[in-house]
Amino acid sequence: MKSITELINFNEGIVLESGKRLDAFDLMVETYGELNESKTNAILLCHAFSGNHHAAGKNEDQNIGWWDQIVGPNKAINTDEYYVVCCNNIGGCSGSSGPTSINPNTKKAYGSDFPIVSVSDWVNAQKMLMDKLNIPQWHFVAGGSLGGMQALQWSIAYPDKIKKAGIFAAAAKSSTQNIAMNEVARESIRKDKNFHDGNYIEHNVIPKNGIKTARMLGHITYLSEKHMDLRFGRKFQDDASKIDKEVDFEVENYLQYKGEKFSESFDANSYIIMTKAMDGYDAAGKKDSLDDALKEIKAELLIIGFYSDWLYPPERGKEIQIAAINNNIKSSYVVLDGEHGHDSFLFHSKQYSKIIKKFIQS
Amino acid sequence: MARELSKIIDNWVPRESKVIDFGCGDGSLLQKLMQTKNVLGYGVEINDSKIEECIAKGVPVIKQDIDKGINEFESSNFDLSIMARSIQCLKNPNLALERMLNLSKRCVVTLPNLGYWRCRLNLASGRMPVTPELPSSWYETKNIHLCTIKDFEQLCIDQNIKIKDKVFLNSNGHSGILASISPNLFAIEGVYLLEKQ
Repeated sequence: MKSITELINFNEGIVLESGKRLDAFDLMVETYGELNESKTNAILLCHAFSGNHHAAGKNEDQNIGWWDQIVGPNKAINTDEYYVVCCNNIGGCSGSSGPTSINPNTKKAYGSDFPIVSVSDWVNAQKMLMDKLNIPQWHFVAGGSLGGMQALQWSIAYPDKIKKAGIFAAAAKSSTQNIAMNEVARESIRKDKNFHDGNYIEHNVIPKNGIKTARMLGHITYLSEKHMDLRFGRKFQDDASKIDKEVDFEVENYLQYKGEKFSESFDANSYIIMTKAMDGYDAAGKKDSLDDALKEIKAELLIIGFYSDWLYPPERGKEIQIAAINNNIKSSYVVLDGEHGHDSFLFHSKQYSKIIKKFIQS
Repeated sequence: MARELSKIIDNWVPRESKVIDFGCGDGSLLQKLMQTKNVLGYGVEINDSKIEECIAKGVPVIKQDIDKGINEFESSNFDLSIMARSIQCLKNPNLALERMLNLSKRCVVTLPNLGYWRCRLNLASGRMPVTPELPSSWYETKNIHLCTIKDFEQLCIDQNIKIKDKVFLNSNGHSGILASISPNLFAIEGVYLLEKQ
């Protein structure tokens, strides 16, 4: 699989939904496959909250991409046939402009000064990337969770630039419960003594405990009760492999491990920015209703939900589907078993892959 | 779906109309209507492999148990709803009819006729009917609400539903003479175009 990773600079800057302006910004971009001569085979992948530009294959650090089970040669999103683009979103911490980047005005890391960004801002930045890559129209824009919100936003904001959209394990807006969960996560970060109001970089520390706790909570919400039960049950962790002596059960050890690993790589301010964007998204925007907001959509939609997902349950996708039908948009709504809870959108299953593949081809 | 049946339905579907097909199966009827009548069609189906076939055909499809959520589409202004060979499988066929006519101006319903002479012969011999059209035994059939042509038309009267048009099919799947003269005895299937009174 031909894969290119590069940092692309946008000196023209961008005006954000908040009204603030980034005078210049960078996007870390990864592409797979090749754009055909007629430029009709481009696909954009939008990452979820903690994802990044690295969607498929192994990178230099031997890390496997977040959607590798779905994207690759002869997979559901076939990189032999399509030119697939994925970028780290603004506000992230994997190379694109974000809180750890240097603020050109102060020559110091932005930290908590990095402006609040929104799903619309990401989509607008991705549109600028599209223009830079000379892609006239996406054949397909897809993502799960927060990525699904971007796919939906693409079809609303740029109806002529997108032929099909894949909205997986997503919703037109976050629920009250979603916001509540995210606030607990943010609170644990803010109350870490190393947070320093978001300016921890200046103090040469990171609010590791806060990020870790936030991620542990997040992780529980991504899995299903049944899956956790099957995977860990009430099994005890054996002493030799305990990550912490306080740990009794395997599930505790697992969460400790996942939280610890995440806290070493993810930026605390990014965590706050990304979750704020998720909470703040409402596809209805300034319109009266979702029905009104979808009026201009020309893309065909594929909405997929998973029975085991209690964070963005299938009914949330159904709301988009009904609004789409009300607007005479060609759209399909499928619910799949998916044993991994909210995370199910990341994993291959025969049916999931087949449906995505056929939708792209049809 | 038998060619004759699909032809009859085709005749009743206005060009460029908005159609919903409950129990759409592999989506072939909608696909045909999309091609010949340029309709905007949506299928509703519960079977996963059928859903895949719809998507492969480019037919928009919604995964949904039609026993549960017909009324979810009430805000969508459909011109026509279709329920072919499914109404007898529902828990509340009478409610389903009412709801279909709430969400669309007209609806097409097709159903097997339990009054067909072969079924009557079966019953006369003391056994539940098993015919080529109703092949399952009583304990495994999905057809939990079978009725005769007469029963169905009585239900339409009771529910104030107007039968706008109807066609009766014989065992060859054609609209034969006997089936139209005495449908309750000779039709294996009734095909109805219904609207609110």
